[in-house]
Amino acid sequence: MKIKEVPQDITYYEGKKRACYALDDKGKYVIVPSSGWSTEEVVNGLAVAELAAKLEKTRQAVLQGLKSPLAYHMERRQMTTAILAKTAGICRFRVRRHFRPEVFVRLKASVLQRYAQALAITCQELKNVPGK
Amino acid sequence: MSGEITADGRTFIHQHAAHCESGVASALFRNQGLDISETLVFGIGSGIFFGHLFFIKMVGLPITTFRAQPGAVFKKAGRRLGMKFVTRRFRSPQKGMDELRRLLREGKIVGLTTNIYWLSYFPDRFRFQFNGHNIIALREIEGGFRISDPILEYPVDCLTEDLERARFARGPLEPHGLMYYPESVPKNPDIRSACIDGIKDTCKMMLGIPLPIFGVRGIRFLARRIKNAPQKLGLSEACRHLANIVRMQEEIGTGGAGFRFMYAAFLQETAELFNSGEIAGLSQEMTAAGDLWREFAAVAARIIKKRGQSEDTFARVYEMLMDCASREETLFRKLKSAAGKLKS
Repeated sequence: MKIKEVPQDITYYEGKKRACYALDDKGKYVIVPSSGWSTEEVVNGLAVAELAAKLEKTRQAVLQGLKSPLAYHMERRQMTTAILAKTAGICRFRVRRHFRPEVFVRLKASVLQRYAQALAITCQELKNVPGK
Repeated sequence: MSGEITADGRTFIHQHAAHCESGVASALFRNQGLDISETLVFGIGSGIFFGHLFFIKMVGLPITTFRAQPGAVFKKAGRRLGMKFVTRRFRSPQKGMDELRRLLREGKIVGLTTNIYWLSYFPDRFRFQFNGHNIIALREIEGGFRISDPILEYPVDCLTEDLERARFARGPLEPHGLMYYPESVPKNPDIRSACIDGIKDTCKMMLGIPLPIFGVRGIRFLARRIKNAPQKLGLSEACRHLANIVRMQEEIGTGGAGFRFMYAAFLQETAELFNSGEIAGLSQEMTAAGDLWREFAAVAARIIKKRGQSEDTFARVYEMLMDCASREETLFRKLKSAAGKLKS
């Protein structure tokens, strides 16, 4: 890759630039800041869109009363059941049980507090999902 | 490049780097008075690797790694350059944060392994649950820490609670608050013999691991899996898998083409150190291999975008990857014999 081949296609790093190694005119490697590559945009956009779609699906399920808000907030933090269980210090199958709305509403405040702590949100936020 | 003051009043120079680990390691070494580039540290620490870990899944997709395991670059480079360094993990987050504060007050700067999701100074689309991002803590500030993250152009601030969460995140590859810093750096380290060690180790990892999923054989393995993916998984799943590979290759801090350009830069520096035309030629071959990887990424992105409507096919991607593999196989074989001839 030569300096002029370093992609400067998009600026989706929110103004931040990333270092790339490229050859200068004398054939020597130098660091060149890049603002992004359209190829990356395609693959990364796909991954981001996928996550967003999955999250929205879970939100709808929560609103329909099929899942508890815990499932939504876990996905929002891009966690899996295993990661959440370890972070909150609650056994994995209990966490999975707490995805059931009827079990979730009966949870003690202390358990909710542990989930809220693990997900870095307040207990109030944990009990609800955003309206839109 | 920008200056920053540490707790004991010395100046720390922040340099933009391509890869977090080699960036942090080289900055720590430079801060101790050893002037060394990121790419040299990357090569000496044998940072380049390939593995297709089809059985480990992240968000349902198999992991393709272009780097050695997190933490290896600092350790290997430190050892090969004859340094004394300290690495510590903690069971209690409180103790881990207290120890960090104590070291910073002493005027040390400390490398930390963190979970990138909780570092809120990153743009949202870079944030995902990955426990292998390395940063340097420079000093404590009100409500947080001053952080030099080599991936970014300038030092940033990080809230205390964010940093604590990031250092003690759970999940695969838990960092357990891992912190590391060199204790003493030799005045005149033997960089030449360290380079030879690094090259030999890399060749061993790329050619000699007797499992078909690592090194050059791993690239072929991946190529075959990609070729069969559309029949096996369906087109849209195959596209997802392909996108994930390209993401791993280009996305976060690889310096382009899954570290190939960084390694070529390392070979270039090595060639200058030894005044070796052979290594310089291999550096150019590495660049060519890197360009091919970039082309692979571009073709893959076209396939994904058009969902099979373009003339680019999975068979074409297969051909390209096989080409990459055979080029790199000859390259690393030549490199192995060239390294054997070098004298430190």
